[in-house]
Amino acid sequence: MKKSLPRLDSKFIVIAISVLLLLYFIVFPLLVLIYDSLFVDGVLDISNYKDVYGKAVNWRALTNTVELSLIVMVASVVVTFPMAWLVGRTDLPGKKKFRTILVASYMIPPYVGAIAWVQLLNPSVGYLNDVFKFIFGLSAAPFNIYTMGGLAWVLTLFYSPFAFITISRAMEKMDPTLEEAARVSGASPLKTLIDVTLPLMMPSIVAGGLLVFIAAGSCFGIPAIVGMPGNIEVMTTRIVTFVYMGDAKGIRDATALAVSLMVLANALLFFMSWMLSHKDYTTISGKSTRPNMVELGKWKWPAVGLVGGYAFIAVVLPLASIVMTSFLVSMSKGITLSNFGFDAWIPVITSSQYMESIWRSVVYGVVAACIGTVLALFIAYLSVKTKISGRNLPDLLVVLGGSTPSIVIALALIITFSGNYGLNLYSTMWILVVSYLVKYMTMSVRTIAASLSQVHISLEEAALNSGASWLRTCKDIIIPLIAPSIVAGWFLIFMPSFYELTMSNLLYGADTKTIGVLLYELQTYADTQNASVLSVIILLIVLVGNLILSKATKGKVSI
Amino acid sequence: MFSNKKLLGAAALTMTLSAALMTGCGGGDKAPSGKGGPEGKVMVYTSMYPDIIDSMCKPDVKKALPELDVTWFQGGTEKIKTKIAGEIKADKIGADVLMVADPSYYIYLKQKGLLLDYKSKNMDHVVTGSDKDGAWSPVRINNMIIAYNADKVSKDEIPTSWEDLTDPKYKGKIAMPNPMLSGTAYVAVGALADKLGWDYFKRLKDNGLRVEEGNSAIQNKLLTGEYKAAIILEENILKLQETKHEPLKVCYPKEGCILINSPIGIMKATKNPTGAKALVDWWLSPAGQKAVTAGWMHSVRDDVEPPHGAPALKTLLPNAIKVDWDKLAKDESEIKEKFRTIVME
Repeated sequence: MKKSLPRLDSKFIVIAISVLLLLYFIVFPLLVLIYDSLFVDGVLDISNYKDVYGKAVNWRALTNTVELSLIVMVASVVVTFPMAWLVGRTDLPGKKKFRTILVASYMIPPYVGAIAWVQLLNPSVGYLNDVFKFIFGLSAAPFNIYTMGGLAWVLTLFYSPFAFITISRAMEKMDPTLEEAARVSGASPLKTLIDVTLPLMMPSIVAGGLLVFIAAGSCFGIPAIVGMPGNIEVMTTRIVTFVYMGDAKGIRDATALAVSLMVLANALLFFMSWMLSHKDYTTISGKSTRPNMVELGKWKWPAVGLVGGYAFIAVVLPLASIVMTSFLVSMSKGITLSNFGFDAWIPVITSSQYMESIWRSVVYGVVAACIGTVLALFIAYLSVKTKISGRNLPDLLVVLGGSTPSIVIALALIITFSGNYGLNLYSTMWILVVSYLVKYMTMSVRTIAASLSQVHISLEEAALNSGASWLRTCKDIIIPLIAPSIVAGWFLIFMPSFYELTMSNLLYGADTKTIGVLLYELQTYADTQNASVLSVIILLIVLVGNLILSKATKGKVSI
Repeated sequence: MFSNKKLLGAAALTMTLSAALMTGCGGGDKAPSGKGGPEGKVMVYTSMYPDIIDSMCKPDVKKALPELDVTWFQGGTEKIKTKIAGEIKADKIGADVLMVADPSYYIYLKQKGLLLDYKSKNMDHVVTGSDKDGAWSPVRINNMIIAYNADKVSKDEIPTSWEDLTDPKYKGKIAMPNPMLSGTAYVAVGALADKLGWDYFKRLKDNGLRVEEGNSAIQNKLLTGEYKAAIILEENILKLQETKHEPLKVCYPKEGCILINSPIGIMKATKNPTGAKALVDWWLSPAGQKAVTAGWMHSVRDDVEPPHGAPALKTLLPNAIKVDWDKLAKDESEIKEKFRTIVME
């Protein structure tokens, strides 16, 4: 008895601290924001809600946001489900490479991708439009990017990796016996897919779709670049408009909209998790199984064509467009050999401000990823490995942060951590690090929890029975066993933090300008070509990171 | 088995918390003592271009005011306004010197009693208007004009006036920055609405005017030929002409340019008024004004050369469109809303 007490203690202390940190850095700021939107100097005042919802444009922004997010969610699931199935459950040739390429758009900063698509599909001189006009002899451009359809297209391409990662992970873990049973009983592969695989995958499809819905709804960069020229307003662009008014009323109107967006996102999230909690998904076994792969037979090459075609459109085209722009000497001249050079690269590489920002972003990303991974490990352990009541609470709090739109988080952190409530992080790197943690820990917790659930409790018990403390057990048994997922979880926080734009833009200070902020400024105020150069550098860093990740885990993990 | 490792994880977490606490407080300013020029710390919030700050302002100020420890926070005008709004709310204004594009914002700040009155000794050569109490002084001129790409438009498509943009030959190929997100675009909207009436924007809308996030997006799309003519800042075009030899040209419209007399001001909350004043003096001196023209903006002084490729300010001033700054300060949300309903719906 004497021995088990301290064990319980260390576990309890660690977990209690995690919960307290989450409450303080996620829940508290959001509560302050809600309070702030409702009260002025302690008196209830909802004139801001009346003002914003008295205007038709804000209602339209709301319906646009919901409509767009729904379209993007459905489209992402419809597109990525077959891809995930082909890559995860069939003998598709080169599927490992395809997997990497398909999640690659997770690595492209969305606003950079948006610029690329505007170059490709704008109605007057879009490269692709010109190609189509030439091939089919059209007089008018077939596509106009500045429409709801165009916006949905770009959002889908950039946020579908959320669905792909979630669905393909579940696919790879799925118990194959049911599929095999169906096949043995004479069902065709397609029928097996529809009648067996699809229902089994429902929870992860919904979860992935939801991630996409929230990401699309809380995105600012893409609607600003693609939607604005087409006069399409969404919630985030409205919030920024109010914030930029630069007076107290503007901020209050912004918080009213921000709170609405937050409530919408979270209501949906909790409704979905409630629905899913009534479903039984034990058929996805926790044990690591090596499911037999479905043989594609004569469908092999058409399938390669399908996945390859999608990868080309979603990843290669925009990437090529960005890389090419960075090497153009003059944007006003055509794509000719004499117009290529390093002119745009030299000022970027030789300038201290660019290099400092890159370094800073690496540091902030690393700090956020390290803290986040430690927290994620404890949270995942708590919810997967213990029977403590309320063990899912920290997990839920992390999801709450992840599902809150970036801009809402930024506003909440400014209001809360500028010294009015004790801690003053304003204009320091810590407010940025906190914002990244609040926003990006979800995927990391998910990844670590998934792999933790496969570590059998007996190993841990053996260690504990031999007299090791709980923390020692963690260090010597659990962590080595799930190391690949810890590394993956680390990168899942590092990468989006590294190039984060929306929150950094509102939270940076004189000495904490990050690469995302710089890129946004180049894009809006100064030089687009330098922005392309910077994007290519970001991509290189992220790619190298991914390569290291894949090598370090011997190919077991890559994003 | 009470191994000290039991607190390993707990320590990691508390470390992050305490590190966060440590960095909590901002810089405490010392009172200046006046030996060898002003000293102490000064924080500048500015929308000047970062490359100009790095290459000119930092070294020059270091030379002119060696004892002064100047920190530069650089960001777009709107971002700085947002930052200050947050700081006003927290009652913790971080800026000592404020230098953003939008003059009407200074009128707003003056009304709130947040600006320190100061009349610089370097004002004799300054030719544009300043606040009568000295709450703000002009420091640079941004110029909203029409730009076009000489390689992509035919001779008869070269614009000469604001009215030209309503001509069907530009249909669907004209653009301007979003006044909700850009202070200089907001001034342009107010000025043009006063001069040509809101009807002008209705006609622009009918002619397919596109609203872009910022000047850079527009400059880019002028280059690619997506737009034939666009309302944009002169400095963007001059910079491209000079540094990249792009074929973009400026049209100084017949009805007059929109000259934005961008101010500099000192926040009343400053703990180092001497240092802040010295910095304002530097900005208004020929050396500070050279940093302005190096950023392809016009100087407010009559003894400093205009930026490369631009006509002298005195040739633009007489014909410039008059801007009602008080109205722009007072009716900001109405004007923005009116623009939005006319053009962006």
